[in-house]
Amino acid sequence: MIKVIEVKELVKKYGPLAAVDNVSFYVLKGEVFGLLGENGAGKTTSLEIIEGLRKMNSGHVEILGHDIKRGINSIKNKIGVQLQASAYYEFLTLKEILELFGNFYGKSLDHEELLEMVGLKEKAKSYVTQLSGGQKQRFSIVASLINDPEIVFLDEPTTGLDPIARRNLWDIINKIRKQGKTIIITTHYMEEAEFLCDRIAIMDRGKIIAIGKTKELIEKAQNPFKINFIIRNLKNSDLARLEKLGELIADLGGKKNNYEIHLKTQKCVNKILAIIHELNPESVLVKSATLEDVFVELTGKTIKE
Amino acid sequence: MEFSFSFNFHHSLWFFFGGGNKSVGTVTLVNNSKTELAKNIEKSLTDSPLFKIQEQDNTKNIESDIRKNKIFAGIVIPKDFGNFRNPSAPKEITVIYDKGNSQSNGVLFNFLNQFLTQLNFKVQNALSIFKIKEETISKNDLTYFDFVMAGLLGLALMNSSIIGIAISITKYREDKILKRITTTPLQTWKFLVAEVCSRLIVNFIQVSLILLIAVYAFKAHIYGNLVIIYALAILGAVLFQLIGFVIASIAKTTDAAQGMATAITIPMMFLAGVFFPIDSLPKWLFSIVQFLPLAPLLRMVRATILEGLSPLGNPMNFYIVLAWIIIALALSIYKFRLTEE
Repeated sequence: MIKVIEVKELVKKYGPLAAVDNVSFYVLKGEVFGLLGENGAGKTTSLEIIEGLRKMNSGHVEILGHDIKRGINSIKNKIGVQLQASAYYEFLTLKEILELFGNFYGKSLDHEELLEMVGLKEKAKSYVTQLSGGQKQRFSIVASLINDPEIVFLDEPTTGLDPIARRNLWDIINKIRKQGKTIIITTHYMEEAEFLCDRIAIMDRGKIIAIGKTKELIEKAQNPFKINFIIRNLKNSDLARLEKLGELIADLGGKKNNYEIHLKTQKCVNKILAIIHELNPESVLVKSATLEDVFVELTGKTIKE
Repeated sequence: MEFSFSFNFHHSLWFFFGGGNKSVGTVTLVNNSKTELAKNIEKSLTDSPLFKIQEQDNTKNIESDIRKNKIFAGIVIPKDFGNFRNPSAPKEITVIYDKGNSQSNGVLFNFLNQFLTQLNFKVQNALSIFKIKEETISKNDLTYFDFVMAGLLGLALMNSSIIGIAISITKYREDKILKRITTTPLQTWKFLVAEVCSRLIVNFIQVSLILLIAVYAFKAHIYGNLVIIYALAILGAVLFQLIGFVIASIAKTTDAAQGMATAITIPMMFLAGVFFPIDSLPKWLFSIVQFLPLAPLLRMVRATILEGLSPLGNPMNFYIVLAWIIIALALSIYKFRLTEE
């Protein structure tokens, strides 16, 4: 596979604080690569260094075989950038913005086709301020495609969106992937990374603490299985039996009689299910670990918006 | 908003400088004489825009009306006043007034004195030998408005360019538009030149409108060459846009940019000679404010518009503007960034 982006030992310091601390990764052609982590983990800073918006203190970044220290202008035609906040003129219509930005590049895709792709064809004559949050983000993504780029950078494209708008955006990102473009995306939504990304780097305090294929990362979780169940009036002796087999969380989400147990092997799952069955449960749900579990295991904290 | 403010400001000064026609108050007139002269006094008082005249046939309420502030004075013309055939006819007009209201009274006494002095001359058949010969330094027919128009031209350019650039560029940065543009292959200098050029077009329209309204609505006089006036306007616009860029490179938010732009433009509006000549300022203050960026520009614009002279007649003005352009350009090249880094 061809590496379209290669980042080696990237460091970015703000005073004594290392916002990006010796980060190395690569992105393969045609894949969706996710940078995952909570706010302030260094995702956006890393991305903006690669995009040429910020200067690095040390390290090496190559995009499409081009060292960005030798100037990034020659490859700006080949990349499309969507920034965290929507960043467009308030006094231009969507169509006019696409035309303007198309002019900044040597080439430009048909703006009608682009707007149609994200379901905004009827809004061609509207202003950005008249769009809903989801529509704004859809527009902001499609505007990053105006120059038909080989690599698309998406910085937290779904932050602050409702679940339907988010899924809508996932469809669009999949459409872009199907066009053969490479996508590098930052997010703090685990299920989003799980759904979209082929490979993931998890960042925490400026460092990459895990990197690999999404599936493999999840499989590497210490407790790949978990069971949710509701049992009323569970006796202490029964609790002790359960706790022997895995990590038990009582009063899950503050709700009484709700339990979750994290388990290492399929064997444990079978044993626990047998015990639960005896105790006459109101409900039982067996799940596999998620990226979020991996994240919590690795960082010891839950992710916050 | 800027425009209406400066307009109102100008308007009040216009009155202050003697161009206004507001009355100073109401005067009660009791005219007991039927003579031609008495009628003349009555007519000129009624015709004058300076006073509102209310006529009465007795002096009864005058004092109480003055106390109640309904009127500020009463004028009583005695019976037979101005009857030249009767030597014992009264020769005095009585004015009843309150000393506290000196400004209005002053106007009234001046008016009456002037009237009576002329009358005395006529009655005595005297020729007025001594009079004022008016002579101005400029050969051209000029009004205060002509002076102010040149000031307004500079003021409009200054406000729209400094405030316009400072706020819009800071807003583009706040909205991440500048950052977004940096991700495209568009070179920074091209973006900036486009910004400046689009504003120059607006400045061109602005100057044209001011000149058109000044000439057709306010009968302003323009003695200079229009091409030179526009060239000076562009010079000023470039200078002020550069100052706007300096603010935009320092200010972090639009609020800060607004504050900084106002802090620069308002003092210049007062101290650089927009509405009144600055050489009447105290010497120490003049020696400073004559170097403000707007001041030499206005001197060049006035030399051109009012006297049809070359703006380079005093090259120092041009050098000061040029120095400011170089300073602002250097500062903006040094400080201005499209993105945070």
